[in-house]
Amino acid sequence: MIHRGEDVIIRTISRMLIPFIQIYALYVIMHGHYSPGGGFQGGVIFGASFVLLLLTHGYHDARSRVSEKTMIVFSSMGVLIYAGIGFLCLVLLGNFLDYSMLAGILHVDPAHARSLGILGVEIGVGFAVMAVMVSIFLDISTGGVLPGEEEDVGEPPVKEA
Amino acid sequence: MEVTLLVQAADESFAILEKARVRAVDLMNTAAKLTSETRWMEEKKVRAIFRGAQETRAGLQNFVVTFVILFFFWALLSGKYDTFHLSLGVICCGIVASFGHDLLFHNVRAGDMRVIAGRFFLYVPWLFYQVVLSNFHVARLVLSPRLPIDPKLIRYKTKLESDTSMVTLANSITLTPGTITIAIENGEFVVHALSRKVADDLNAGDMEDKVAHIFMEADHIYIQDVLDVARIFAALK
Repeated sequence: MIHRGEDVIIRTISRMLIPFIQIYALYVIMHGHYSPGGGFQGGVIFGASFVLLLLTHGYHDARSRVSEKTMIVFSSMGVLIYAGIGFLCLVLLGNFLDYSMLAGILHVDPAHARSLGILGVEIGVGFAVMAVMVSIFLDISTGGVLPGEEEDVGEPPVKEA
Repeated sequence: MEVTLLVQAADESFAILEKARVRAVDLMNTAAKLTSETRWMEEKKVRAIFRGAQETRAGLQNFVVTFVILFFFWALLSGKYDTFHLSLGVICCGIVASFGHDLLFHNVRAGDMRVIAGRFFLYVPWLFYQVVLSNFHVARLVLSPRLPIDPKLIRYKTKLESDTSMVTLANSITLTPGTITIAIENGEFVVHALSRKVADDLNAGDMEDKVAHIFMEADHIYIQDVLDVARIFAALK
């Protein structure tokens, strides 16, 4: 269970830094096919921004922004984007993830289609990594029981001496 | 005998009158209370409507300003200014700004932001000047053979109200050589000061006044408003 941080300086500064961390993460994802970086690295940075939010503001304040359910949906969606692009190439009579086959759909030359295909795959990987990072963090820090669901589980049985 | 009866009757009638009077006063009080309660509720409702409008405006303004700042940051990082990458930047900035427009600017009233930004940019050179001054002071302390330092922890009660202003003051204190903010505990700063002079400078509260002026807190709201109004009137004349 993560509690709200006590230090007002750390809380305020991290609150102001989080949008910049996120835009940096998206930059790393979107420029992954030109420069170092890519889906995995960008996804980890994006997930780290959520972890920072949870660490400094606590689960109760941050739950409206980061919920376990959304993260599960995002992780599945990321895998779906990745596999969808792969199988689309397979359907278009190429190999799995053979992006040049996408040229017919996107109406561009094969080299450009490869670039766009890699970008799409990077976005999928980024989604999945970000969501899985955050949900692993939530699982570890809450012991698998989210604060909103404590009532269903009930008090742990008291051991008799 | 008859006189006694008469007096008793008069007493009883007075008692009844008194009771009636108390009852009437009670009733009137209740009525007044009810009216004031309903009026208070009405006022509260109106105020809530106003605040709702204010919040929507502030939310929109925060979104736009956050978007612009993030887009500058994106352009700085990206370095590719073709249509494709700029449109990617617009989408990404939109996503991040819609997620975190109340993270970057928290509790900023609509219309205040321009004033705060302007005053902040005027504050930075002043802070830099203070840093240079205390830099010389600390250098003299360190270089003198007697080492005349007098380190101590001081507790410093602040008049600032919001998190942002307190953090600005705390970081300004830490940036200034010779003083370090250790913690903020319920609006009380715990500061380590290297010598008596820097501690006295801190207690004089110049820096706090400036920060309160930036964020329009404490009494600076009124003073600045009065000054502005006076200037406007002078200009009109």
